[in-house]
Amino acid sequence: MNRWLLGAVLAALAASGALTARAVAQAALPWSDDEVKAIARHGPWPPPAPRDPSNRVVGSPNAIVLGEHLFNEPRLSADGAMSCATCHVAGRDWADGRPKAMGRRELDRRTPSLWNVGYAHWFGWDGAGDSLWSQSIRPILDAREMAGDAARVAGLLRDDKALACGYERAFGHKPGTDDEKLLVDSAKALAAFQATLVSPRTPFDAFRDGLLSGDREAAARYPAAAQRGLKIFIEANCAACHFGPRFTNGEFGDVGIPFFTRPGEVDSGRLDGLAKLANSTFNLLGRHNDDASGASALRTRHVQRLHSNFGEFRVPSLRQLGSGPFMHNGHLATLEDVVKHYSEVNPDRLHSDALPLVRPLALTAEQSSDLIAFLRTLSAEPPPRPNPPALCP
Amino acid sequence: MRPLAALIALLIAVPAWADCPLDLGRGTGLVIFSSHYLVAFRPDPMRIEIGEPFSLLFNVCTKNDKPAELVAIDAQMPEHKHGMNYRPTIVSLGAGRYRVDGMVFHMPGRWELAIDVRAGEESERLSHELIVK
Repeated sequence: MNRWLLGAVLAALAASGALTARAVAQAALPWSDDEVKAIARHGPWPPPAPRDPSNRVVGSPNAIVLGEHLFNEPRLSADGAMSCATCHVAGRDWADGRPKAMGRRELDRRTPSLWNVGYAHWFGWDGAGDSLWSQSIRPILDAREMAGDAARVAGLLRDDKALACGYERAFGHKPGTDDEKLLVDSAKALAAFQATLVSPRTPFDAFRDGLLSGDREAAARYPAAAQRGLKIFIEANCAACHFGPRFTNGEFGDVGIPFFTRPGEVDSGRLDGLAKLANSTFNLLGRHNDDASGASALRTRHVQRLHSNFGEFRVPSLRQLGSGPFMHNGHLATLEDVVKHYSEVNPDRLHSDALPLVRPLALTAEQSSDLIAFLRTLSAEPPPRPNPPALCP
Repeated sequence: MRPLAALIALLIAVPAWADCPLDLGRGTGLVIFSSHYLVAFRPDPMRIEIGEPFSLLFNVCTKNDKPAELVAIDAQMPEHKHGMNYRPTIVSLGAGRYRVDGMVFHMPGRWELAIDVRAGEESERLSHELIVK
């Protein structure tokens, strides 16, 4: 009897295996050579660890530990109530899930995610920062956010025994008397930590790698709806801006999101960001850049401020999108709203006299659903984060 | 191979230009010409990556085998009518040789280089298309 039962179970398993194999085979869509090349450009993932010649401690384990402690340190703020982690919450994809960031008051833009931020070359929605460390200084000093200052940060590094020890381990000497240098060094440690925030591999990455290696079974495990959505993504030329492994070219665009912040006031985006960049004492052309070759300042030296920069905002990565809200100002609540925006965007709003990069895709309900299915496969559950190690155990 | 074949054909067809210093250090790269000018250029690094800064090395000559001047260079995507987000700078290396720094093609697709050259009072714009993937 037992043998009969075992045989029946094995037969059932074999049949279900055959069915699964058939279902897998049916799920594989045909892909042209051009489509495969387009898909290949979105990987491999993860890329090599971020490099930043302007920051001498990037990649240093001791600086990463110091940076994580500083990231969670509310004493960097004027009232001791706010740290970087207040808005960039680990469990919320390093953002806060709010349409607009909340500092000491509500701001005009959404808190951007920090996933993969170490690979960027412009920082902030307007690109006012040209390095991760200079961008890390901005919220510390901004009166609307942490409202801190160099003396406060420097004093903390000098006077707090654990932080002073962590600084010495990271930088090889005790905290000195130059407050501005200590502010910058703190930001460089913060940047070293943030550069470690690399998003996990996703179902899309398994599909891409399977497709390229000829592993049809691995490729076919990718849901059919996501495959159809990927075809729409390619056909609509979304990769013109959402290019490469991070699904962003790291530059700026106007995709038709309103730029009025309140009646009579606009957020001019990149146009204002470039003015701030030029006026910043912490940009890569300044004395705090650790790269003696000057090569890391190439973009800063050559970037040009154009009228067309008005209303442009940084192209966000599509990896680890989170649950929203979306766009630079949280204007769209859900991913469904984002796809609807691109499906119905008003071309007159975009003032293009050529082939527009953003045009109404006029997607059917099924196509919208497929595109969303694809976008969701660019995310995965990140591994749990251990508590940061002690600064000086 | 195509640029090399074009250059060989060019040198055979127009022997008067054979002395123009087209060597760019690692071969001649791409060669474009008009009735007055001959321009050889190559990217540095050789492969242009989307969103990554690159340089262009130039040799600019007249059809009479005289060095000419590289006055300006720009690039745009004709389909979308937008240019680069970066303004390149030109460094003269002497004898018609130039290095252009600060080029960035920030999108995949067709880019059109506009190359302004001059010898004496005569200036001209030469163009060349590049498909960047």
